[in-house]
Amino acid sequence: MKRICIVEDDKSISGELKELLDNSGYEAVVLEDFGNACEGILAAEADLVLLDINIPHMNGELLLKQLRTRSEVPVIMVTSRDSEADEVLSMSYGADDYVTKPYNPTILLLRINAIFKRLDSGHGSNGTIVFRNMQIFPQKGVIRYSSGREILLTKNEMTIFMYLLSNKDRIVSRDELMTELWNNQEYLNDNALTVNISRLRAHFKEAGFEDIIETRKGQGYILIG
Amino acid sequence: MRFRDYFKDRIYSLVIFIVLLAAAVLLMRAYRLEAEAVAAVAVIFAIFYVSELLIDFFRKKKFYDTLVDNTDNLDKKYLVPETIISPGFYEGRILESVLRDTGKSMADNVNVYRQGAENFKEYVEMWIHEIKLPISSMTLILHNSHDKNDRMLAQVRRINNLIEQILYYVRSENAEKDYIIDECSLARIVGAVAVRNKDDILENNIDFQVSDVDVTVYTDAKWLEFMLNQILSNSIKYKDDNKDTSVIRISAVQDKKSIELRIYDNGIGISGSDLPRVFDKSFTGENGRRYSKATGMGLYIVKKMCDKMGHDIYIESAIGEYTEVKMTFYKNDFYNVTKM
Repeated sequence: MKRICIVEDDKSISGELKELLDNSGYEAVVLEDFGNACEGILAAEADLVLLDINIPHMNGELLLKQLRTRSEVPVIMVTSRDSEADEVLSMSYGADDYVTKPYNPTILLLRINAIFKRLDSGHGSNGTIVFRNMQIFPQKGVIRYSSGREILLTKNEMTIFMYLLSNKDRIVSRDELMTELWNNQEYLNDNALTVNISRLRAHFKEAGFEDIIETRKGQGYILIG
Repeated sequence: MRFRDYFKDRIYSLVIFIVLLAAAVLLMRAYRLEAEAVAAVAVIFAIFYVSELLIDFFRKKKFYDTLVDNTDNLDKKYLVPETIISPGFYEGRILESVLRDTGKSMADNVNVYRQGAENFKEYVEMWIHEIKLPISSMTLILHNSHDKNDRMLAQVRRINNLIEQILYYVRSENAEKDYIIDECSLARIVGAVAVRNKDDILENNIDFQVSDVDVTVYTDAKWLEFMLNQILSNSIKYKDDNKDTSVIRISAVQDKKSIELRIYDNGIGISGSDLPRVFDKSFTGENGRRYSKATGMGLYIVKKMCDKMGHDIYIESAIGEYTEVKMTFYKNDFYNVTKM
């Protein structure tokens, strides 16, 4: 399980953020002692840091600079100051992403997910993913079954499938899927999403996996691994 | 400085001169001085009078003409005391010293207000950053709660949009340069704005189409995001409920010198009489009154920032049919040169 360190002095936000991350399959740690923030972050051995710019004792940007001399852990800067200058400064100090408050929680999760995906794809694999007895080529939009049979997915179907896959065995809400699609500049409406999911099901049904995407009424969809 | 006017002003000296000269002539004649001697004395006195008049005129003319010229030519007329070269005559020096004093005093006075405005701006910015904390908190709480309350979330988004409007208003009123022009991906900015408005677009059943925006423009990404957000939220707000399908279409058209971004909607439209004034400060128009949700500030700020950053913006509309906002970004050769 990926561990995420939250550096945020507003107790209400850090508490809610912890709940959000914990519910989304991460382990969240909240930094308590800002007097020695850099040591604290390193001691948490986190896989990712959510760093607020306005924190006690020290400016978040300076903390990031300090942290970068000792660690390459991915950092997402979170701030209520939104100007191009602040963003440029943060990125130049080595932030991996920059999110402004108030953020859409689903978007924040997507950004976190994107950073982890980027890191994982760096380790060897040529982009193919194996799931059950099929090989998935996300770039080409192709799924190949062990029988050698291939099916071709549209970009939207692939985006939906990949999102379900990376959240396998967890209920994914329609809102999450929609946010993921819109985030990929595919501006679907509600009907189009339903159509895409039924087409996806039809593809798998043809290949003999009828049960692969289940609907949880009022909650969303779940991919059974 | 014209001699005629100057002389008119000194007419009294001529009167005195003539009266005194006449008195002197009479006196000299009474003492039976030779006519030639009287004439010679009169000429000497006349030469004295004329030369004094001319010398004084030209000394002053030089000083005042420069002063008037400088005032006419200066863009900021209040800087004129700075241009004065200390004159050789007494009255000029009095004027100079008074001008300098009033100038300084006005500068001090302006500074009080500038400082006040600056403090206010700083306070508003700080306040906005502070209020974003409870808004963030509220968004997270609503999101985390089991019965995710979409109606409440929509209201929180509304609060946030209004707060953002005042932040950008304060920033745009500021004389200082508060933006960075750089190469930006239009698709990314449109995407960010689309995602922000996703819930409102979906809840209102609007057909949202984006095409051909895969281009780069020179702008400030944050500012453009704010401006597009204002335009898009107008499109959502003023959709036409009488139409079967509501459409918002964002596209970009490119030619040699510029890129035009178009935001089209088939909403209620803007009447011909309101159209020329939509960019005016606090103008709400018929639509704003009828729907009573308008501050009249959004498009005013948008237009102002477009002017500052060198983008063009104009709106086409037909009431009951459509509204189309067109924003033009010029391709700047300067950037291409520096990049090479």
